[in-house]
Amino acid sequence: MNINGEFIAFFIFSVLAIGGAVFMINLTRVMHMALALAFTFFSIAGLYVLLDAPFLAVIQILIYTGAVSILMIFGIMLTKHKDEDKVAPFTVHKLLSLLGVGGFLAIVIWIIYRNPFFSTGEPQAAAFKVTDLGKAMFKTYMIPFEVTSILLLVALIGAIVLAKREEKK
Amino acid sequence: MEKSYLSLAIFFLLGIALPMVALFFGRLLRPHRPLPEKAITYESGVDPTGDSWVQFHVRYYLFALLFVIFDVEAVFLYPWAVSYDLLRTEMGLFILVEMTIFVLFLLIGLIYAWKKKVLEWR
Repeated sequence: MNINGEFIAFFIFSVLAIGGAVFMINLTRVMHMALALAFTFFSIAGLYVLLDAPFLAVIQILIYTGAVSILMIFGIMLTKHKDEDKVAPFTVHKLLSLLGVGGFLAIVIWIIYRNPFFSTGEPQAAAFKVTDLGKAMFKTYMIPFEVTSILLLVALIGAIVLAKREEKK
Repeated sequence: MEKSYLSLAIFFLLGIALPMVALFFGRLLRPHRPLPEKAITYESGVDPTGDSWVQFHVRYYLFALLFVIFDVEAVFLYPWAVSYDLLRTEMGLFILVEMTIFVLFLLIGLIYAWKKKVLEWR
């Protein structure tokens, strides 16, 4: 293992991403949880940069770190809840969850072990260009692109209808 | 490629370090005389009443949702703008029409929101 800048950056970002996720589960205040989750999203954007996908990293920051986190904070602000600082006791339910998650982790590790990501040979994908993405999106998949717009429209109108009904109450 | 990321990393680290260093030196330099009045939550100079957690009106949520929808739309505009010149030579003006249709659909949503008085503050 050679230690270079990329390795150090990967180490920092992965520790931040996992740390954010662990804190998100363990923190007791909802707002702190949302912050921890935003931290995880941001670190994943850093990992995307390391994987030579800067466009995906920018989208990760725009959509997840920006929009989704904001939406979550709004959701927290809109709901009534009591901050509970006490830690829930260790129950049978938690033990079962631990077993389930542990089993899932074992299966994932087994699958990665069986099918390694890095095959021996040259990497297949050429260097990423945004123009390739544009070509695929606006030329090859033209109709799905327009349908995406309709999907966004449906989401917008649905949200307005639901929120308006809530407001009338 | 590597060098540009290095400058980005330096920029990022400086951005984190600047407030940390400033606040650390501020802590060393400023006098520290805590009073109970100083510990009260600041609320426009008035003594705060009630809990800091109030339930916000559902109308705020609509603004957040509008923001998310148009944020996603903006993401689609980036690759379109970058590859516009290339696709202009290949497809002609249809590339412009394509994005116009895309934006028009979302404009319908915006007009709907407008008509439903979502954008108004009563």
